[in-house]
Amino acid sequence: MSPGVRNFLFFYFLFKTMDLGVLIQILVWGLYAGCIYILLAIGLNLIFGVMKVVNFAHGELLMLGAYAAFWIYTLSGVNPYLIITLAMILLGIIGVFIERLCFRPIMGTGKLNEIFLSLGLIYLFQNLVALLWTTDSRSIHSPYSGVSVSIGSIRLPLDYIIIILFTIVFLIAFQLFMKRTTLGRAMRATSQNRDAAALMGIHVERMDMLSFALGSALAAAAGGLWLISGQIADPYMGSIPAIKAFAVIIIGGLGSIPGAIVAGLTLGIAENVVPLFMQSFVGLLGVSMSFTAWKDTIAFFILIIVLVIRPTGIFGEKGE
Amino acid sequence: MKLDGINIKTGIGIISLIPAFLIPLIFGINQYLLTVLIITLVFIIYSSAWNLLALSGQASLGHAAFFGIGGYVSAIVANTFGMPPIAAIPVGGLFATFIGVLIGFTCIRMREWFLAMVTFGFAIIAHTITTELSWLTGGWDGIPAKRLIPVTITNYIIYEYYIMLLIAVVVVVIIHLIKKSRMGLAMEAIRENELEAKVMGINVTKYKLMAFAVSAFFTGIAGALEIHHFGYITPEVYGMDISFWPIIYSISGGLFTVGGPILGTIVITFIWEVLRTFGLMYERFILIGVILVLIVIFLPKGLVSVPEKIKSRLRRF
Repeated sequence: MSPGVRNFLFFYFLFKTMDLGVLIQILVWGLYAGCIYILLAIGLNLIFGVMKVVNFAHGELLMLGAYAAFWIYTLSGVNPYLIITLAMILLGIIGVFIERLCFRPIMGTGKLNEIFLSLGLIYLFQNLVALLWTTDSRSIHSPYSGVSVSIGSIRLPLDYIIIILFTIVFLIAFQLFMKRTTLGRAMRATSQNRDAAALMGIHVERMDMLSFALGSALAAAAGGLWLISGQIADPYMGSIPAIKAFAVIIIGGLGSIPGAIVAGLTLGIAENVVPLFMQSFVGLLGVSMSFTAWKDTIAFFILIIVLVIRPTGIFGEKGE
Repeated sequence: MKLDGINIKTGIGIISLIPAFLIPLIFGINQYLLTVLIITLVFIIYSSAWNLLALSGQASLGHAAFFGIGGYVSAIVANTFGMPPIAAIPVGGLFATFIGVLIGFTCIRMREWFLAMVTFGFAIIAHTITTELSWLTGGWDGIPAKRLIPVTITNYIIYEYYIMLLIAVVVVVIIHLIKKSRMGLAMEAIRENELEAKVMGINVTKYKLMAFAVSAFFTGIAGALEIHHFGYITPEVYGMDISFWPIIYSISGGLFTVGGPILGTIVITFIWEVLRTFGLMYERFILIGVILVLIVIFLPKGLVSVPEKIKSRLRRF
């Protein structure tokens, strides 16, 4: 038997051991997880583009967004998808405060300081929330939680589809804002060349504030959607999605929005498919082993491999 | 009379050893106090090791990986081969060095943020590997570790304290010597400007890897010391907190200095323990977060720079 035929047979049997329906379910799950990462990553990218600052506490903004959504929902009981808008506005305001009080004083004093300041913010927000709402896990009951859409024999939860659509709408609105409005153009100009933008009469510090507000609002959207989809919120929920968002922007290249979308979807799908793939792989070798515990580490393996091969990320051209 | 600046600092270091040496003799065998002091000493070693890596411009957010690996290897080696902990601890340190060099290889070309993320990721990977290898590591439940000094010996904790003090002093002196040596100067040059350092003929790769190796070694030692003090180890040693403490201590004390991590560890631990007596839980962490933000903004050189600041203030009058 030639090696080619042997490889073909190997992969054929490998896929045969995986249930196709399960695979598609997992693909959709990955798509939806990818949407959350994309929303986070684009906010991070925006802040980095305009201010050249990396906010390591971005996951805490997601957590605050989820808690804001939970809080408003519990008090009012309106449709949670409408509440996300309110949570975004609230987090936008918080973002402005973070920028004014924390990041502006240390701008230009070195990258290590930004990392350390973010660590302080992580401690501050996690424990402030734990103090205010306790560490009990919180959840929102989505009005569509039992509803699912059937395509052939595959049933997809309606919430996931709404979340994917929501993300697409956010992305289009964001892109239109950046390309078509004066403010968006001013922000892009600031991110291309801060000094020249300032000379052209753009209030660059206002752009910093706006980028932080927008980035925080996108993180709040991610947090709200995450909560509505049936995930639970607790004060420490932010760190893992944030790290994955970092992986996404590093893989996709700092400052590249198409890169973030591609990398986000790839990561979301990969981290859901790879454990299944590994399981059937060792299953072929006669070993029964679960790889679900490795889910969160897959992002890092991808990240490390990408960075070892290309230290600026796949789409990253300009470096800083 | 004018003294050389370096001599004054060394003098302060030696004088501050006297209270450290006398504390058990003054307060007697106070289990709580001595435990706090032992953990403080462990974290002085740990923070100094982290600070040494930061000296080369590489800020790791996942040093808990080395801390935990050192602890686990030392505990497993001591348990399986029946070695006394004091002999197993260097094995843990060496294994952490080995892992550190491997991680260092992947990190060499990376810029600050990427390196921070990747090291953070390594801590999570180490956590997952440890919990998955449950036949060796006991999974989530962890494994028992031998005590540094058997509990059956009367006043064992005093012996432990002096052993820890001795090791901490040795480590700090070694780190001081490294910082003064060609290696330390090369590392500082790399941190200030990697390209210029390269132009001056410094082997950037070599010194960055050496920084990783030395830092991982002492971190592994610190981890092993801690678990042999507590008598057990669980995957919690890979927690985010464990990675962040040395950073908080080093920043509040003073980055890139030998005295900084020591001063920072002592001051922050003191604040921490005082707040504990008030029964505060989350407020403590909130306060630490606020302190960290304020120090980064208003006192970037840490507490060790306070005397200089006051001096320059006074000169103005």
